Amino acid sequence: MNGFFQPGRALSIARKEVRHILRDPFTLGLALGLPLLMVLFFGYAMDFNVHDIRLTVYDQDRSRASRQLAEVFQSSGYFQVRYRDLGPNPAAALDSQAAKAALFIEPHFERDLFREGTSTAQVLIDGSDNSTAGVIGGYLSGIQQAAAQRLTGQSPPATPVQITTRYLFNGELNSRWFTVPGLSVVVLAILGIMLTALTVAREWETGSMELLLSTPVTPLEIIVGKLAPYLVMGLIAQAIIYLAARLLFGVPFLGSHLWLLVSTLMFLAASMAQGLLISVVTRQQIAAIQFSQMAGQLPSLMLSGFIFPIESMPVFFQYLTMIFPARWFMIVLRGLFLRGAGFSELAGPMAVLLAMDVFFITLATKRFKKDVEP
Amino acid sequence: MFSVEVKNLTVKFGSFAAVDGISFTVEKGEIFGFLGANGAGKTTTIRVLCGLLIPTAGEVRVMGLDPKKGLEPVKAKVGYMSQKFTLYQDMTVSENLDFTSALHRIPKGEYHHRRKELLDFIGFRAGTGRLVRELSGGTKQEVSLVAALLHDPDIVFLDEPTAGVSPAFRARFWQLIRRLSRTGKTVFVTTHYMDEAEQCGRIALMRDGRIIALNSPEKLKKEAFPEPLYELTPLTHSRAWVGKLKNERSVLDVNPYGMRYHVATRDGQAFRKAAGHMRGDFEIRPIRPSLEDVFIHLVETKK
Amino acid sequence: MSPKIGIQVENVTKYMGPNEALEDVSLSLEPGLLHGLIGPEGSGKTTLLRHLIGLLKPSRGKVVYLDNGKPVPFSQVRPQMAYMPQLQSLYADLSIGEHLDFFRDLYQIPEKTYKARRKELLQITRLGPFLDRAAGHLSGGMYKKLGLMCALLQSPNLVLLDEPTTGVDPISRREFWDLLYRLREEGILIVITTAYMDEAERCDRVHVIARGRHLASGEPQQVMRREKVRSFEELFIRYDKELAKK
Repeated sequence: MNGFFQPGRALSIARKEVRHILRDPFTLGLALGLPLLMVLFFGYAMDFNVHDIRLTVYDQDRSRASRQLAEVFQSSGYFQVRYRDLGPNPAAALDSQAAKAALFIEPHFERDLFREGTSTAQVLIDGSDNSTAGVIGGYLSGIQQAAAQRLTGQSPPATPVQITTRYLFNGELNSRWFTVPGLSVVVLAILGIMLTALTVAREWETGSMELLLSTPVTPLEIIVGKLAPYLVMGLIAQAIIYLAARLLFGVPFLGSHLWLLVSTLMFLAASMAQGLLISVVTRQQIAAIQFSQMAGQLPSLMLSGFIFPIESMPVFFQYLTMIFPARWFMIVLRGLFLRGAGFSELAGPMAVLLAMDVFFITLATKRFKKDVEP
Repeated sequence: MFSVEVKNLTVKFGSFAAVDGISFTVEKGEIFGFLGANGAGKTTTIRVLCGLLIPTAGEVRVMGLDPKKGLEPVKAKVGYMSQKFTLYQDMTVSENLDFTSALHRIPKGEYHHRRKELLDFIGFRAGTGRLVRELSGGTKQEVSLVAALLHDPDIVFLDEPTAGVSPAFRARFWQLIRRLSRTGKTVFVTTHYMDEAEQCGRIALMRDGRIIALNSPEKLKKEAFPEPLYELTPLTHSRAWVGKLKNERSVLDVNPYGMRYHVATRDGQAFRKAAGHMRGDFEIRPIRPSLEDVFIHLVETKK
Repeated sequence: MSPKIGIQVENVTKYMGPNEALEDVSLSLEPGLLHGLIGPEGSGKTTLLRHLIGLLKPSRGKVVYLDNGKPVPFSQVRPQMAYMPQLQSLYADLSIGEHLDFFRDLYQIPEKTYKARRKELLQITRLGPFLDRAAGHLSGGMYKKLGLMCALLQSPNLVLLDEPTTGVDPISRREFWDLLYRLREEGILIVITTAYMDEAERCDRVHVIARGRHLASGEPQQVMRREKVRSFEELFIRYDKELAKK
């Protein structure tokens, strides 16, 4: 026999696969179109930012400081400020839907500020719109800082970490900065699993696998040969997302490009090996598509921290997310883009990804049938 | 009146001509055999005749009707048993037939009468409450035939009705076909089996969208081989005589046939005389040409 | 080259779906001959052929490979075997030339050998003019010939073909048989399956299979004489009737 792994044979499988890809408009379209579509969709349509929140200001102090405070809200870009006189029932301002939030400044605001170095203003938020309320609440702590700076003319003392983590690395509180890099996880998971899940199942369905198995080619050669071209396609998809993030949305990239490449390859390999495993086990295209949608979309969208923060999940789900490569790649990506995380910080999640690669490829190779036994 | 008249029929899919300018007629009550490889254009032609496909060019009449002037009248006179789909596997025989009858809007009384008549015709004993998937391959095909005949069409198109069926069932199915034709129904059938082709009134051989031979089996044989054919059984291991025979003037062709050889001749008597000199090399026996021999010959002489 | 590789099937039983099972099949495939496994569809021919190429393992019994009459392990015979499955197993979007290149790489055939072999095969199959045509656009006969070419590329000593003539028009069928006879002249052991009974007589040896059982073997006309039938069709119909009586 010709040995366990011969690069020449793997290459011939890869070359054949490239021909299939180039001649199949659907695969090509999926690989190149999906990332673009997702970037545009999540980047433009699904904007988690809230702009132009109507804010009614009840300024009972009517001082310089109180006006400055209101200006801080106005100049943040998130609020549209309107002055009103305090009526008998302040909550009515929110009831009438005229405003989403109201700012109350007590009569002694400026006096307290200068005498005691601290002063209090109250913000009422319409809690009936849960998501907007959450966003406004989020903006407030940012504004608090800005206000302190403006009013006292100096930087605020160090603040507790947990309050500021989010905004330290996304100072403008721009949700796109947060979502667009995370899109890579979703797109590459779907692409990686879908494309490879179809390829082996297709060969079983058309009968060409029987012919392949009757030649000296080994399962590992078939698997490596089939993964390679799709790996390249995945990299192209990643490049599209990266360029869109940087050029269209101005997302900063503070980390190392080398680590981006390495981690992308690792995540792609894990996704594709999962797809292969599905393909090898189901041997039918329809079943493969269904399984791969489950395995590709669900974890990457829901359980990776892309939409729902992992810290706010029930404990069981927090642990569940650990078995999906998507969660680990998400950590790596956000770290690279927004924080400029270095190797020591990324080593953990990347080691997990590597282990998953080995696990899935081994499993796919083991489960690969070398005969046509039912 | 002809059951089917086709003049210069062409069907193109994109630039590919699946059917390329064919013409033929089928007489009423005839068993008309349609032969050719997968992809030669048989199924495409049948689909046109059943009103399922609009031809790119050419004239078509089915039972005197032009499908271009309306498909409904054509469909009422035509029964079609398709190659791939015939019956719903997860429904009973009865449910399948009820469904077919509803599709054709057959009046209730007539349906029950036809159904009984046809099930008797195929000698159906399995029970109409059985799921179709529980039936044997042959019985399935027979029930499909019943479904195709339910609305009492004048002509039935059977697209490879005996593919994947045992030899015993094939023989039975052809008995049914012959009885149908005796009752005046026209049967238009495609097959890959030469022995089935022999049982047709006339056969057409299609190749790459064209009809390359059309006649009754007997006439085709006479036309192609006016002189006899022989089978030679070698008596020794030497094959030196094969080359010598090929050079004989009375010999048209020598082809291996298993351990034996088939020889087509230009002049039977002259061949026997020449072969007499090689006695000891082989035994000689006259044979009848097969339809396959005929088709090969027709193609090669046309080249 | 003198013929040498033979196969001995010894009491092979295989438990599978009702139309694929084998029951205690024993037969001998002598070197250098063209063997036909004949039987109606669903009789177990394909199952038996897949045992010969190692794609299935017998539940009981064994397949023995012989080289000059001496048993040799499968791994030694395997590289000399070529197989053509029944299903359309080629890639519809790859051309004839691309298929040949692909199988050259899979079999790791040296370029010089490949070139000569490719030229020879294209000539005898007369597919040369269609080198750039995609397999999906080939006619039934051309498709099967391409399948055969892929199988023959590595110059095997043993060729297994599963229903190579099914769905092929009579003319292509004859051309295919001519090809098989040419191969036989080279001393290659050829095993084909067929559901066309008229093809049985074209084989050097037939092995008649029905419902997973081995009914008869031998030179076709001798088998018919022995079984007192005029055609193999008759043999199967008789067998079905006998079963029905039981």
